[in-house]
Amino acid sequence: MTNPNDKYFNRRRLLTRAGKAGLSIAAAGTVSYLLYDRKGPSRLSAKSKDLVTLADFSVPHEAGDTISIVEGPDRKQTVTKAIELLGGIERFVKEGETVAIKPNVAFASPPMLGATAQPELVAQVVTLCLKAGAAQVIVTDNPINDPASCFMLSGVGKAASQAGAKVILPREYHFRHTTLEGGKLIKNWPIFFGPFAKVDKLIGITPVKHHARAGASMTMKNFYGLLGGRRNIFHQDINTIIAELAMMVKPTLVILDGTEVMMTNGPTGGSVSDLKRANTVIASCDMVAADSYGCTLLDLKPADLPYLAKAQTAGAGTTDLESLKPIMGTV
Amino acid sequence: MDSIKGKPKKLESIVGLSLLVVLILIAITILITQSDYDMTRFGVGTVLSGPGTEKISLTSLVPAGFETLSEETYLADNLYEKINGKAPLYIESGFVKLSSARFLSKSDENLWMELFIFDMANIKNAFSVYSVQKRPDVEMLPDMQFGYRTTNAPYFVHGKYYVEFIASSKSDELFKAMIETAQKIQANLPPDADTEIPELSYFPHENLAAGSHKLYLASAFGFEGFTDIFTAQYKFGDETITAFLSRRPDPQDARLVAKSYHKFLIENGGVAKPAITKALEGKVVDFYDTTEIVFATGPFVVGIHEAENQQYAEKLATILINKLSQAKAMSND
Repeated sequence: MTNPNDKYFNRRRLLTRAGKAGLSIAAAGTVSYLLYDRKGPSRLSAKSKDLVTLADFSVPHEAGDTISIVEGPDRKQTVTKAIELLGGIERFVKEGETVAIKPNVAFASPPMLGATAQPELVAQVVTLCLKAGAAQVIVTDNPINDPASCFMLSGVGKAASQAGAKVILPREYHFRHTTLEGGKLIKNWPIFFGPFAKVDKLIGITPVKHHARAGASMTMKNFYGLLGGRRNIFHQDINTIIAELAMMVKPTLVILDGTEVMMTNGPTGGSVSDLKRANTVIASCDMVAADSYGCTLLDLKPADLPYLAKAQTAGAGTTDLESLKPIMGTV
Repeated sequence: MDSIKGKPKKLESIVGLSLLVVLILIAITILITQSDYDMTRFGVGTVLSGPGTEKISLTSLVPAGFETLSEETYLADNLYEKINGKAPLYIESGFVKLSSARFLSKSDENLWMELFIFDMANIKNAFSVYSVQKRPDVEMLPDMQFGYRTTNAPYFVHGKYYVEFIASSKSDELFKAMIETAQKIQANLPPDADTEIPELSYFPHENLAAGSHKLYLASAFGFEGFTDIFTAQYKFGDETITAFLSRRPDPQDARLVAKSYHKFLIENGGVAKPAITKALEGKVVDFYDTTEIVFATGPFVVGIHEAENQQYAEKLATILINKLSQAKAMSND
């Protein structure tokens, strides 16, 4: 016959053991929960106090001194004239200031294919900035292809250096996270920030190009180079990201080179037959306005580029060129 | 004594130890797996292993007087890092892999060229990306099945590969070197089993603009249901007319696709209009002052796209019907 004490002892032992097991499971579960990383390593995030914001590099502008459009075959002459018509480089660059120039150096492509900013154009803008008394001119980009190859093969690196600029290639430590206020896509996202952290002025330089996804690649799309991380995911909402770039970046001036326009097979092109000579350079304090004029060189209308309307709605500029009273010139 | 006194039985000990061993093994497996996860998910450009990702040896393709500066390989996951906004065109057309190399002249450091070999899985895909990107008014390359040159580079299809070059400058020396590399590709790179595109032979030759064939794998003419659509251009006097055709799996599918495209045209502002040729009655649509014709004949969807002149459009459509009837008759023999 079973001793009643034996039964009680087994039940107590069972309960004790079950309790211990339960505590172990709870402890393991708690530790797992605390260590669980929902976001995964693809989305490194920064604490809000570590987020940065790009400075506002813009200068005051109004109708009649916002955008100039100059026609001519020689880029050095047309860009000089275009800036002159807006008041001269001294309006934009003061003595002792540091200037960052962000040309489109996205691809390791030779200048003749028009996929990147032209070396002589970049060099001329560097020269003008130094003549205005800039303490230093930085030329930098965060290309799609290997940066060293891009700066070398595009000719921009050599031209900029020879003109007296310091060329900065992107390094890991240049990237910091940012969140665009009111942005849908740029949230806690790494941007190429380092070279722009301590400059006074920012000038963008880019050619007019067809773009297979966006329709066109011009001054606003040029700042795609500031995005880090797996930025290709933004191609799925290309118009929104371009508009957000225009909200995030407030440059002093943008130069849009329509001397030779990539009409097809953009943004990389590949053949000189993709190019059409339009002999036009646009200088502008308003990227939306610059792109609105630039798209006409691609035989497009502003309405053909949805990102323009988005950027205008966001307050980044205007597609109403007439309201800005553009200054026309010829060399 | 029994386990009531706190001393476990032998069986209990064995079971307990076995469980512990299993738990330890699980933990080790997790640690090993965690330390070797797929980095391509997280932005690191790594070439995956597996079928279709074997490296092409580009060293054998270096032209005389040049040396290899760099070699790169890209898969669908990181193709955009090389060609940016063009990547979707390739990926949506069956892209497998890009092998690229830069060759530098040994005698002039300013002379370099870059070779791009796109593995598109089959000749149709390769022809599609070749044809939709083909520049107008180019010179066709005589020794190539599908190939042309611009002033600075050649572009061609070699079996399942689409090949293009970029050059640092317009140079005869560079162009000769590119042609030499192109010939080496043709000689040394196995193109794959299929080297023909039968659909191209269904287009009549009369009035055909040489080299004008294109293949739209998806969404031809803006219509989502229009897949595998071949087009060709024809000259009638000063007019250029675009004909299209697609071979479907069976006549029923062809009828369905033709009907869907006809409906698409009407829903988007097209208006059915009388045909000049009786046989084409009910198949002609006025689409914003251009003529669209679409119909099915056997397993083929056939038509004319955005023609300025209805008479020429119907003439070409009739020639197409006759040609395809012959093709059907031959295949029934």
